[in-house]
Amino acid sequence: MAVVRYIAKRFLGYLVVLFIGLTITFFLPRLMPGSPIDNYIGQMQARAGQNLSPEAIQQLRDSLEQLYGLKGSLGVQYIKFLERVLLHFDFGPSFTSYPEPVNKIILNALPWTIALLVTSTVIAWLLGNLVGIVAGYFNKRKFASALEIMGIFLYPIPYYVLALTVILILAYYLGAFPISSTFLPGPLTFQRVMWIIYNSTLPALTLILAGFGWNILSMKALAVSTKEEGFVQFARLKGVPDWRRMNRYVFRNALLPQITALVLSLGTIFNGALLTEMIFAYPGIGLLMRTAAGAGDYNLLYGTITTTIIAVSTAAFALDLVYPLFDPRIRLKG
Amino acid sequence: MAVAIRKVSALLTAAVLVLGLVACTAPKSPDQSNGTGNTEMTDVGTPRNQTLIVQTFDGKTDNPDNMNPLMGSYALWRGFRELGWGYLWEMDTATGKSYPELAADLPKVMDASYTKFQVSLKKGIYWSDGVQFNADDLMYTLDTYKAGQGKLTYFGVSTLASYVKSWTKVDDYTVEIDTQNPAYDFATVLGVYTWGSALNIVPKHVFEKQADLATFKNTTPVTIGPYTIKSFDPNGQWHLWQLRDDWQRSAWGDLGQPQAKYVYYKNFGDEQTRTLSFIKNQYDVDTFMSPDSIAAAQKQNKAITTFAKTSPYNDMNDACSYGVIMNLAKAPFDKKEVRWALALSLDLASVSINSMSGQVKAGALALPDTQITRPLFYDPLQSWLKDLQLPDGYQPYDTNFASGMVDKLKAAGTDASALPSGDATSSYGLGWWKNDPSEAQKLLASVGITKGADGFYQQNGKTWEIELVIPSDWNKVMQRVGFSIADSWTKAGFKVNTRQVDNGEFTKVQNTNSLLTAEVNWSSSCIFNANYLNSWRSIMPSNVQPVDSTATLNGNLARITDQSMFDLVAKAGKLPQDSAEFKTLGTDGMKIITENMYYINMMNISTTIPTNTTYWTNFPKQDNAYAVPYTWWSSFKKILVSVKPAK
Repeated sequence: MAVVRYIAKRFLGYLVVLFIGLTITFFLPRLMPGSPIDNYIGQMQARAGQNLSPEAIQQLRDSLEQLYGLKGSLGVQYIKFLERVLLHFDFGPSFTSYPEPVNKIILNALPWTIALLVTSTVIAWLLGNLVGIVAGYFNKRKFASALEIMGIFLYPIPYYVLALTVILILAYYLGAFPISSTFLPGPLTFQRVMWIIYNSTLPALTLILAGFGWNILSMKALAVSTKEEGFVQFARLKGVPDWRRMNRYVFRNALLPQITALVLSLGTIFNGALLTEMIFAYPGIGLLMRTAAGAGDYNLLYGTITTTIIAVSTAAFALDLVYPLFDPRIRLKG
Repeated sequence: MAVAIRKVSALLTAAVLVLGLVACTAPKSPDQSNGTGNTEMTDVGTPRNQTLIVQTFDGKTDNPDNMNPLMGSYALWRGFRELGWGYLWEMDTATGKSYPELAADLPKVMDASYTKFQVSLKKGIYWSDGVQFNADDLMYTLDTYKAGQGKLTYFGVSTLASYVKSWTKVDDYTVEIDTQNPAYDFATVLGVYTWGSALNIVPKHVFEKQADLATFKNTTPVTIGPYTIKSFDPNGQWHLWQLRDDWQRSAWGDLGQPQAKYVYYKNFGDEQTRTLSFIKNQYDVDTFMSPDSIAAAQKQNKAITTFAKTSPYNDMNDACSYGVIMNLAKAPFDKKEVRWALALSLDLASVSINSMSGQVKAGALALPDTQITRPLFYDPLQSWLKDLQLPDGYQPYDTNFASGMVDKLKAAGTDASALPSGDATSSYGLGWWKNDPSEAQKLLASVGITKGADGFYQQNGKTWEIELVIPSDWNKVMQRVGFSIADSWTKAGFKVNTRQVDNGEFTKVQNTNSLLTAEVNWSSSCIFNANYLNSWRSIMPSNVQPVDSTATLNGNLARITDQSMFDLVAKAGKLPQDSAEFKTLGTDGMKIITENMYYINMMNISTTIPTNTTYWTNFPKQDNAYAVPYTWWSSFKKILVSVKPAK
């Protein structure tokens, strides 16, 4: 019963967060200074060789207002938006790619973002924590200092610099990987999958390196403080071997905040990796959001931001449910 | 401890080994296995020596499978305009003259009022699916445009709605078209002007079967150009075109056989990764690479060349120019003396060196100085410019701008061999305004704006701060130009607030009086040939809004409210465009705009199109100028029939 109440309370909170998020998502882009209609007309002007007559521009403007659903008061548009999204999960057509449905554009990009970021986030987390626990547990040894230096070295490097360095070394000079990605249409055969992995390796590697350093340093700090806890000292006095003390006493306890960080990171992957996508010409949702924001494409922004809100809220909700399983100390009693 | 060291070392070693394994297996692209023997293949499975690879003009597209020319948001710049579609009349971008492509001849004028035209179509042109092109396609397209108003978003639908009145099929290859008003520009509205055309003829036999033309994607379309889409990236990074076997029966088959069997448009990422790819010969033609990146690439790869061997290195004949638009109704921009003061405070030589490494061609008139417009406007107005005087008798025109650029570039360390020798005006322009901040101060003082310790003070005692809107990094060249202008004005003593904006906001500021103070812009000066009305026709009273209006302008972005310009434009609209009076009105209009400094025109858009001759040679260059080098204009058709495989 207590568990049911716990879950119900968390679920209600989850729904409230989603609703508030949706509302803010609707109104925020409307405050942006750009206009999707002006942006589209600017594009058409460019395609026309700056040749559009004022009459043609006015007619286009009137048509677009109708087609984009921007007629009527903001309140009416908000109600229609809620109805569409809550009942059908339909964000309407993208303005910049009219009449392509926003859902389709996002669904095209999302698998790439999920595959790349889940893989790189998890690997960076695993590797970083495994290295960090050793660096923290044996913090007074030279080897451990070397591991810490690795983290200190990687962490502050701006992502853009890191990515270009990796491209220069591995793609440009060694020629081991392509400088920019090329993905091909067609069914997912074994060869095509290997090709995707090959073209995704450098983007993933740069993301892993970028996250690796932070995970080393954070786990190291947690390990150093957990190591000093009484129960660890007691285990040492009992004669528990180093390796077992490190894994079962220090690591397991230091891991708890890192799990929180991992789950929340996984929630934010739906923001995409904008710089990665730009540098490597890699598909994903980051560039979609950037383009939508720049062009005032409200519908595409609604779709991408809502996807992120749902992902992060769901991740936080899942964490609330799962965390007590990891840490018996925080299980609520009914 | 030892165990820990061993395990961590093993972990890191395993990670490196996995990386190495992926690199060493270096799988071939699934499509590369189409190659035979030692033929080098592209990633998309075409022989490299038969594939011309072009960096995309537009980066990545979000709806790559949409190839419907009736809707405006498809990836036009991925070759559709040059390779897939055809036009009644194309424009020779080297001469600015129209020539027939799908039409048999230029339009025949059937009445004295220029409202009735006969269009004869070429025989023997076929769509890529083997169906013959004829008048039914033209009729169907015009009918579809009319029925599609309010639903189809291609700009041509809106344009033709207020242009054509009726159309009649005379026979299978002849159509008569009536216009709503006298149409002296018929060939460049229903045909191409610079690079755009309002009329994109679609295949009737394909489109008439569709239930909803607005949602019809037309993926891998039936084309009338010599190429068809072979494949494309569903993620929007590339499109691949293949030459039709029956290219001779296409819209421009009469130009000759295109030499590249495949044309591959690809986005190679941001400029740094693009440059690396270019050095590695992964593509053949770039578009809008910055001068610094070009120079860096050339140092690494001698096969990379620019249009010209000497500065300014690039073809400087783009159809538009960069300038500054101002809200002419907003004080103090409503005063001619203030606008002139800003022009004289702008050190264009420094701006061009700082932003474009000196690779610019200046133009004092409100249009670019090209091989087409120079004899029409710049040459006839040179003596007028030299004699032009401001109210205090000052003569602002500097005919030594070009030689001054040469001297400044030499002083900045450019080798003399890299600079034009002799007359540099064909490179850097015939002249521009003198950089004279002290004259600028005098002009400002004459209207009550005085220089103080921290800027200029208006009559109300407040410091005058100029907000200059510039693009953010979505247009890096204009961004750099904008920052350089702000720097120049700041050095002259002005307080400048440079505001970078995204593309959506940029257009909104451009179109809205309440948001505009000053903006770096290029839309107000796109005059490509004698037809200045394409740029000026919106200069009319109905396109004037109050100074703080939030209403959107549909033209007249320079905000001109001069009655003499209104009268001139109205009069010119009633004249044949090849008449002497029409031409005279054009030069008169230039004088009005210039002497009032309604728009500070600066320089032609510097179109950097470096090429890599590792796989293809005979690109157009200054010493081999069979076409202008633009891959998104009709000139690309000439380029395709002229390039030669290097291997």
